[in-house]
Amino acid sequence: MSLSQKIDTGGFLFTAELGPPKSCNPDAVRKKSVHFKNIVDGVNITDNQTAIVRLSSIAAAKILVDEGLEPVVQMTCRDRNRLALQSDLIGMSALGIENVLCLTGDHQRFGNHPEAKNVFDLDSIQLIATARMLRMGFFLSGEQMKRPPSLCIGGAANPFADPLEFRVLRLAKKIKAGAQFIQTQPVFDLDRFKTWMNRVREEGLDKKVAVLAGVMPVKSVRALTYMEDQVPGIFIPRELISRMKKAENPKEEGVKIAVETILCLKEVKGLRGIHLMPLMWESITPRIAEESGLLRKDSAAGRNTLSGKAKKTS
Amino acid sequence: MNEEKYQGKQPFHEEEDTQLLELATRHTKDMSRSEKAVSKTALIFENVVKIPFFRCQRCGECILSHTAFICSQRCPKRLRNGPCGGTGRGGTCEVYPEQKCVWYRIYKRARFLRRLFLLTRIEKIHNWNLEKTSAWMNVLQKRIEAPILFLKRKK
Ligand code: SF4
Repeated sequence: MSLSQKIDTGGFLFTAELGPPKSCNPDAVRKKSVHFKNIVDGVNITDNQTAIVRLSSIAAAKILVDEGLEPVVQMTCRDRNRLALQSDLIGMSALGIENVLCLTGDHQRFGNHPEAKNVFDLDSIQLIATARMLRMGFFLSGEQMKRPPSLCIGGAANPFADPLEFRVLRLAKKIKAGAQFIQTQPVFDLDRFKTWMNRVREEGLDKKVAVLAGVMPVKSVRALTYMEDQVPGIFIPRELISRMKKAENPKEEGVKIAVETILCLKEVKGLRGIHLMPLMWESITPRIAEESGLLRKDSAAGRNTLSGKAKKTS
Repeated sequence: MNEEKYQGKQPFHEEEDTQLLELATRHTKDMSRSEKAVSKTALIFENVVKIPFFRCQRCGECILSHTAFICSQRCPKRLRNGPCGGTGRGGTCEVYPEQKCVWYRIYKRARFLRRLFLLTRIEKIHNWNLEKTSAWMNVLQKRIEAPILFLKRKK
C-alpha cells in the first residue's frame, strides 16, 4: 500500500528520515535503508539539509525505490526556480516516486556555501499548490500536459515558533493549498505541542490532513545544544538538557526520552502518526519502533530483521 | 477565475470549498514605451510615500493591504505567504537573529487592525516582470489586484 492510500484508510503512520551522504556513494544510502525496511511507511529524504550540499534527494529516492521502500522526497524552494521545481516534480513521478514534502528551505547562510545566490521564487505554500496543479494536469503557465504526474503532497509545520496562532493559520493555508499530510518539527516540548494540537483540533484541521509529529532521538548533550544553536526553529527545554547531562549513558537516555515522547504523543487526540528523525543515527529506528510499539503486527519480516540485528550487536 | 485559460476547467475543482485562485499571473503584454515612461514617473511618487512609511522594496505587485501595511518583501527569503519555520523565540528572524521576523510584526499588527482574515489568502507567485515597476500603475491597468483598503463593517 502506498503512503497516500494509508493516509486515506486511517491507522497510525510511522515515517522516518534519512540524510543522503556527502559523496556519490549509493551504498551508503542502501546501508542506511536497511534499518527502515518493513518498519516505516515512508522514508523522507532530506534535500540539502541546512544548506549543505549532499546527494540529490530524487537520486537517493530512486535508490530506495529499487530497494523496495517508499521514499518521501523533500523539496525546498531555496535551490530551484519555478521551472526546475515543476520539472523535478514531474521527473520524480516518472521515476515512480509519488510522495513529496514541500518546504521553504533553510537560508544558505547556515550552510557550507554561504556565498550562494538563493532563489525562493516560490514559497512552500505556493509549491504545494503548484504540485496540486501539476497533478491536475496544468503547468503554472496554464498549459495542459498530456499525462499528469501522480503526487502525494505534504507540508511541514513548526508548532514551536512564535506566535502560535499564526502557525495554525499557516497550517490551514497549507491545507487549503492542497497538503495531504503534515510533518512537524521534532517535539521536545510536549506541553507546547499539546496546546498547538488543541488549536488545530478546534479549527477542525486534524480531520482534513494527517498530522505526523516529529520525534528526534539524540545521542549526547552536544548533539542537543548543536541542534539548538545551529538548526533554526528548534527549541529545547532546559530540563531536557539537564536530564541528558545527568545521565550516565547518554545514548540510552536519548532512546528513553524518544520512546517516552512517542508514547505520550500516541495519546494526543487527532494525531495521525510519528515522524522519526534520527539525525545520523538511522540504526536506532528498529529499536525505538519496537519499544514504543510502532512495529506493524503483520510484518513478520520486520521482526526477523530485528532479531538478526539484535544477535549481531549482542 | 479566468476560465478560458484552463480550457473551461478550473484548477481547484477538487474541493468545492477552496477559494478558486490563479496561482501565477500569466505573461501579459509588454509595456509600450510611453507606458514605461508613465510607470517610471509614477514610481518616483510612489517611492516617496512607500519607502519611508512602509520600507517598500518595489516588487511591483503590492500586497501591503493584505499584510497589515508592513512590506513582507523585507524578509530575507522574500516570502509572500507567511513566515518560514525558522522564526525564533520572541519572533526573531532565523537568518539575522538580531532582527525581528517581519511576519511576526505583520501578525501583531494584523491582529490589532482586525485584518487577520486577509492573511489566510494564498498570495500569487510573484511575477518578476513587474519588479521595479509602479504598483499603482499596475493596479490601474489591471495587471494586479486592487488593494483592500477598507474593511466592510459588520452590522
Ligand atoms: S524568520 Fe521571518 S523574516 Fe526571517 S526568513 Fe523566516 S519568514 Fe523571513
